[in-house]
Amino acid sequence: MIIVFLVYAFMLVLVLPGIVKRKEWRELAAFSVLYVIAFVLSVLYALDIPIPSPMKGLDYLISDILGLKYPK
Amino acid sequence: MSVEKGKICDLELFFLMTAFVQGSLLLIDFTVSLTEHQTWMVILAGLAVSLPFVLSYAALSKRFPGMNVVQINDIVYGRFLGKIISLYYILFYLMTLSFNTLDVSELYLTFLMPDAPFVFFMAVFAAAVAYAVSKGIEVLARISHLFVIVGAVVPISTFILLIDQMDFSDFLPLFELPAIKLFQGIHIMAAIPFGETVTFLMILGSLNKNRHTVRSALAGLLTGAICLLIVAVRNTAVLGRTQSVWTSPSFQSTRLIDIGNVLTRMDFLVGIAQTVLIFIKCCVFFYALVTAVSQLLGLKTYLPVILPLAGILVILAATVFQSPVDHAEITQSTGIIYSVPLMFVIPPLTLLVAKIRGLPQRKRGGGK
Repeated sequence: MIIVFLVYAFMLVLVLPGIVKRKEWRELAAFSVLYVIAFVLSVLYALDIPIPSPMKGLDYLISDILGLKYPK
Repeated sequence: MSVEKGKICDLELFFLMTAFVQGSLLLIDFTVSLTEHQTWMVILAGLAVSLPFVLSYAALSKRFPGMNVVQINDIVYGRFLGKIISLYYILFYLMTLSFNTLDVSELYLTFLMPDAPFVFFMAVFAAAVAYAVSKGIEVLARISHLFVIVGAVVPISTFILLIDQMDFSDFLPLFELPAIKLFQGIHIMAAIPFGETVTFLMILGSLNKNRHTVRSALAGLLTGAICLLIVAVRNTAVLGRTQSVWTSPSFQSTRLIDIGNVLTRMDFLVGIAQTVLIFIKCCVFFYALVTAVSQLLGLKTYLPVILPLAGILVILAATVFQSPVDHAEITQSTGIIYSVPLMFVIPPLTLLVAKIRGLPQRKRGGGK
């Protein structure tokens, strides 16, 4: 868990000053949203909280609902 | 306005495309369980099926010079539908990247360092890929020939060293597999090593001249396919029917190299080749992902989104499948089906719509 915080703090130090200095506000907004998503996912993973896989959802949609699958 | 300012030449495109296709060397092992001794046939058939579609990617980039697929979608399908199609591309880049990152960590965990933590490999690999991509497409393209050399020398040298152990009767009988398995194998081959070159729609816009785009793309595709073919033929001729039993026929066949008790345990070469080739393939995918996201959001540069997307990639790769069996089963079915429209329908359709609508429209009065 500490490693997650350290990695994300390092990420912030590395990227944020440059964006603010150049006054790239759109870039700052994009970075912030993606950063929060990545941070939340990493914390959930570190705490062993199950994260739903998008591939499972796709598999359900394609195999079970649309019935598109190869025979085993 | 494109988010990428760097330019690459035709020769660099050729090397990048070859290295990208070679990056699927690990896939040969993954397909063998389905196609057994007919893997070589499936590679050739997959190449033949995907060839016209790859040509359509190159034709699309020639029609829209200097533009990436997100810009092309906006022009051809309009801002709303274009953005939805671009989101589909982004989902594809992210999912395929997570599969490949998982492949690397599974390779290391299974064959090299079984006691190391699973997520560690993914984090280190994603950091290396993020660093390479932050240097831009020019740098990636400029070093791609080194990866091609590794990807060619390892299969060719191990093939030569194993010639005395090869039995070419292992390729018989031909057409033994049930048609559905053959079809699935061809679909895997057409989709993964060859169809995935649809990713280059994010790169082809960076060509400094697009006179020889088709020729470079085709040459890259064929050179990469030859390397895949060499590996498939080597594994079948050396291991015969037992190749479908092994977790990795490539590792197993190269382990058999024994030249006078001096040249032995050459499987480390396969490990090195597969690592560097998946690395360049992931770099291309990650570059496509960050530029597509940045283009979609209307950013001036893709640099700020690299690290957060690398963080998302690591967690996605760690959680996308529950086990290697789950990985193999889903990738051989849903993994190749969900990307069919993206590889085989949308690019030719985009080309057709662009032709019918006369796109891109030339600016009037600006030519003189």
